[in-house]
Amino acid sequence: MSRLLALLACLLVFAAPAQAERLVSQVSNETIEITSSFAGERMNFFGTIIPDAGSSDKFVTGPFHVVVVVLGPTQNRVARKMSNVLGIWLNTEQVEFNNFPSYFHVLSSGRLTDITDVTTLTTNLILPESHTLAASGSDWWKGAVFGRELVRLMTEQGLFGVQENGVNFPADNFYSARLTLPSNAPPGPYIALTYVFKNGEIIARKSEGFAVRKIGFERFLAQSAVQQPFFYGLVCVILALFTGWLGGVLFRR
Amino acid sequence: MQVYLPIAELSVNLFFLVGIGGAVGFLSGLFGVGGGFLLTPLLIFSGVPAPVAVASVTGQVVAASTSGALAHYRRGAIDLHLALYLVLSGVLGAFGGVATFALLRDAGQLDLVISLGFLVLLGSVGVLMLVESTRAILKQRKGVVVRERLPNQHNWIHGLPMRVRFKKSRLYISVLPVLIIGLFIGFVGSLLGVGGGFIMVPALVYLLRVPGNVVIGTSLAQVVAMMAATTILHAVQSQSVDILLAFCLMVGGTAGAQFGASAGKYLRGEQLRGLLALLVLAVAIRFGLSLVLAPADVFSMAVTGAAQ
Repeated sequence: MSRLLALLACLLVFAAPAQAERLVSQVSNETIEITSSFAGERMNFFGTIIPDAGSSDKFVTGPFHVVVVVLGPTQNRVARKMSNVLGIWLNTEQVEFNNFPSYFHVLSSGRLTDITDVTTLTTNLILPESHTLAASGSDWWKGAVFGRELVRLMTEQGLFGVQENGVNFPADNFYSARLTLPSNAPPGPYIALTYVFKNGEIIARKSEGFAVRKIGFERFLAQSAVQQPFFYGLVCVILALFTGWLGGVLFRR
Repeated sequence: MQVYLPIAELSVNLFFLVGIGGAVGFLSGLFGVGGGFLLTPLLIFSGVPAPVAVASVTGQVVAASTSGALAHYRRGAIDLHLALYLVLSGVLGAFGGVATFALLRDAGQLDLVISLGFLVLLGSVGVLMLVESTRAILKQRKGVVVRERLPNQHNWIHGLPMRVRFKKSRLYISVLPVLIIGLFIGFVGSLLGVGGGFIMVPALVYLLRVPGNVVIGTSLAQVVAMMAATTILHAVQSQSVDILLAFCLMVGGTAGAQFGASAGKYLRGEQLRGLLALLVLAVAIRFGLSLVLAPADVFSMAVTGAAQ
């Protein structure tokens, strides 16, 4: 995450000047609260492309393309491969991916390869595979192979995804995008990066943060499990003993 | 109705959880076993991460065994002295099991060991039980009077040093086999998330010759105490006990067990044992196949920790 932020900061510093357009954007939810009935949450990203403050233009001219990248908190993950050893299938190879995003969705207003070239997509970490290259260790080839499989597994779980029709333009310079965060979305800080493309070049960008967090009872439980593990276990045992005893009393004939 | 499990970090249908808890509870009441060996695999197959499933089922086994243990205690059918030795060595074994659990999880071989462990244990216990119960059923069909083996007959295991007198079991035996049984069951139980009643009962009957009237009660008391300790160990070591998941399973399990126990009255002992043997074998075969058959996906992934 820190590497990503550093990269982003550099890009912001060096790429900002000499542009006529500016992006004003908004996220519908600043925090997403995980309650006991949490079954996913729908989010909206929207914004307008307007002339920059110092610019003499009265209005902006398109056509524009918008790409919204939503990144979840990073984790260390391993991808493992099974193979058959003496008739038994077992995990024999594994590749670790450090600081790998636990959630990654790309929403765009068209095919990514039509919007810009692969180099721009990769250097800005817009493609899922670019994260595996950034996160894997020494063996480049193995990292690439396992990384592709990791992206596939994450996609099957709904944690990774690319929606190339995810961004709509209701007006020439106004876009909106909708994302449904799944129920298995990991809690933590999220970041939404919005890029505006014109003729294959990034002309404006913006980032917004939002948080997914457990609240109330769920938060209390998750925190006690980590901060007071002994008492948490003890309470679980007492609860079990009580339930067992109560069951015996209630149903005794 | 969806319920969000805070430790497993996924949302599951509440009725599904209570339902499988109840179904397994019914079977455990019917056969007089804890049901962990059915519940843990079922949870893993339905998407709960294996570490969370094993650790949470441990809590459920405590609840499932408590009402039975209390009932036996009231009837005076528990050898507390024997249970104490089993529990002490069992907790020691559980320390080893929980530590091994953490090591295997980090090495990515936990699923393999769980599958192998279930295959070997359930496979051998299932075959033994099936042979024994079929023989008993066949003999009864022929009208042969089955003479129960005398419980007080000694074998070489009893003659080992450090003998202790267990009054209630009417035994004066070496304490070493008792401790070894406890240690082994503590280790295996915490590693696989099972109470170990299905190993404990045969071990007490055939190895130690504990009389039939205290076997089940002593085994249940040992399971309650040892699994309670294991739950706390898992909570401290891997922090993967999901109290909400465990509670849903407990509620279903304790209710189901009562119905299972009353249904069990309509079946005879050897028939019950035969059915249980088939069930145990089915689970063993399921695990065996998962080891031998080519997996649908040779790739898998796991989270090894939060980023720094």
